[in-house]
Amino acid sequence: MSAAPDRLTVLIGDDQPLIREVLTEVLTAEPDLDVVAVAADAREAVRLAVRHLPAVAILDVRMPGGGAWAAREIRRLSPATRVMAFSAYGDSHSVDEMRRVGVREYLLKGLPNSDIVAAVRRTAATS
Amino acid sequence: MRSCTMPEHEHVDLQLLLQSLGDYAIFMLDPGGRVMSWNSGAERIKGYSADEVTGRHFSIFYPPEDIAAGRPARGLETAAAEGRFEDEGWRVRKDGTRFWANVVITALRDGEGRLRGFGKVTRDMSERRNAERALDERGRLLAHLVQAQEKERRRIAWDVHDDTIQSMVAVGMRLQLLASQLPGDHAEAVLRLNDTVNAAVGRLRNLAFFLHPPGLDSGGLVDTLSGYLEQVVSTAGLTYDFVPDLDEEPPPETAITVFRICQEALTNVRKHAHASSVRVSLASADQGVHVKVGDDGVGFTDPGDGSSRMGHFGLIEMRERAEISGGWWQLHSSPGEGSTVEFWVPAVRPRRS
Repeated sequence: MSAAPDRLTVLIGDDQPLIREVLTEVLTAEPDLDVVAVAADAREAVRLAVRHLPAVAILDVRMPGGGAWAAREIRRLSPATRVMAFSAYGDSHSVDEMRRVGVREYLLKGLPNSDIVAAVRRTAATS
Repeated sequence: MRSCTMPEHEHVDLQLLLQSLGDYAIFMLDPGGRVMSWNSGAERIKGYSADEVTGRHFSIFYPPEDIAAGRPARGLETAAAEGRFEDEGWRVRKDGTRFWANVVITALRDGEGRLRGFGKVTRDMSERRNAERALDERGRLLAHLVQAQEKERRRIAWDVHDDTIQSMVAVGMRLQLLASQLPGDHAEAVLRLNDTVNAAVGRLRNLAFFLHPPGLDSGGLVDTLSGYLEQVVSTAGLTYDFVPDLDEEPPPETAITVFRICQEALTNVRKHAHASSVRVSLASADQGVHVKVGDDGVGFTDPGDGSSRMGHFGLIEMRERAEISGGWWQLHSSPGEGSTVEFWVPAVRPRRS
C-alpha cells in the first residue's frame, strides 16, 4: 500500500507481546491507520518515536521504564506526536500521572476495538 | 495532701500550683470515685470543664472495654489497699477520642487512717508512645501476619492485572477481529464469546481492586475510599456522605489499615445494618487518622466494645488491625439508632523490635 498523506502513523508501546500483536492487527485493519513502530518498553518507545515521528503514540502506563516517562520524553523530542494511554489500571493516580505529562486520552484495556480505533483518531485530531 | 491541717496561705499556694500544671490532669475523687476537684491540666487533657465533670464518676474517662472489664473499680481498690496504683492505657476525652495515659491513683487518708478519697494524676503520653512504642510478642506476630497478608494480596492483584487481565483482553480483541472476518452466524457466536471474556475481565478487575486497590501505595487513600464508596456502597442502594479532612495523606501502611477497617465496616453496613445512608469521615488528629463510619440502620443490641459479638461481623479483625498499628477501635450502637465504627490509627510506623 502506498503511504497516502492522510494516513495516520501510529507507534505502540506495551510490554505484553499478545497486546502488541493484536493491537497492531486491529489498527492495521483500518484503512486510514499505519502502525509504523512497536516497542516493548519505555526507552525503546522513545527511541522509535524519535526515529518515526508518529502522529500518535499508544503507551501502556505500567511498562518497564514507565509510560509517564515515555510520554514526557516523546512530547519533548517529537512535539507533533500525540500520546494516548492504554492501561489495565483505571485508578485516579495512574490517570493523573499521565494527565500531568500531557496525555489527553486515557483508554482502559478491555474496551471494544471500535472504541480504541475511534480514540486513536480522536487523539490525532487534538491540537 | 492533708489540706485540712495546712495553714491557709499554703493551701492557696497549693491551689495555684495545681491550677498552673497544664501538662498534668490532677484531681481528687471521693471514696466512691466521683470527681471532687479539677485543674487546668485536667480540662486541657480531658476536655471537660470543672462544672461539667464535678460529681461525675471517674469511669467516664475509661473506654467501654475497660469499664466492662472492671478496670476503674480495680484501680481504686488497689490504691485503697496498697496506697497507690499506677497504670498506662487508653483514656477517653470528652469528644470521644482517646489518648494514651499514664495514671497514678493515690489513696488519701486522714490522721485516723480513714479513707477520704483519692488523688489522681494523669499524663498524656500519646506523643511519646507514638515515638517509642514497641509491640509485644503477640502484637509483633499479628503485625507480621497482617503485613504478609497484604504483601500476598498485592502480589496476586498485580499478577491478575499484569498477566491474566491483559491476556484475556488480548483474547477479546482477537475474537472481535475474527468476528469481523467471519460470516454472520459464526460472527455472532464469536462475539458472544467476546462478551463472555469481557465480563470475566470486569470481574477480575473488581477482584484485583478488592485484593489491593492500586492507589493505596501512592498516597491515594482519599481517592481510593471515595472510589470504593461509589463502587460498592452506592451500587448497594445506599446513599453516602464522605467527609475527608486530612492535613496530609498518611503513609501507605496507615492508609492500608484505614482502608481495610473501613472496608470491613462498610461490608457490615451493606450486609447487616438495613441502613439507607452511611457517613464516612476522616480527620487528622493526634498525629494520626481519626475515622468514623456511621449508618442509620437497625443498630446493635450491644454497644461499646461489642465484646459479646466480637466473633461476628469481623469486629475482632477491625479491632486487631487498629490495635496492632498502635491505635484504638470502638463500636457505638443501640437498637434502632444505627451504628458507628470509630477508630484512630497513628500515621507513623510502629517499631517492630
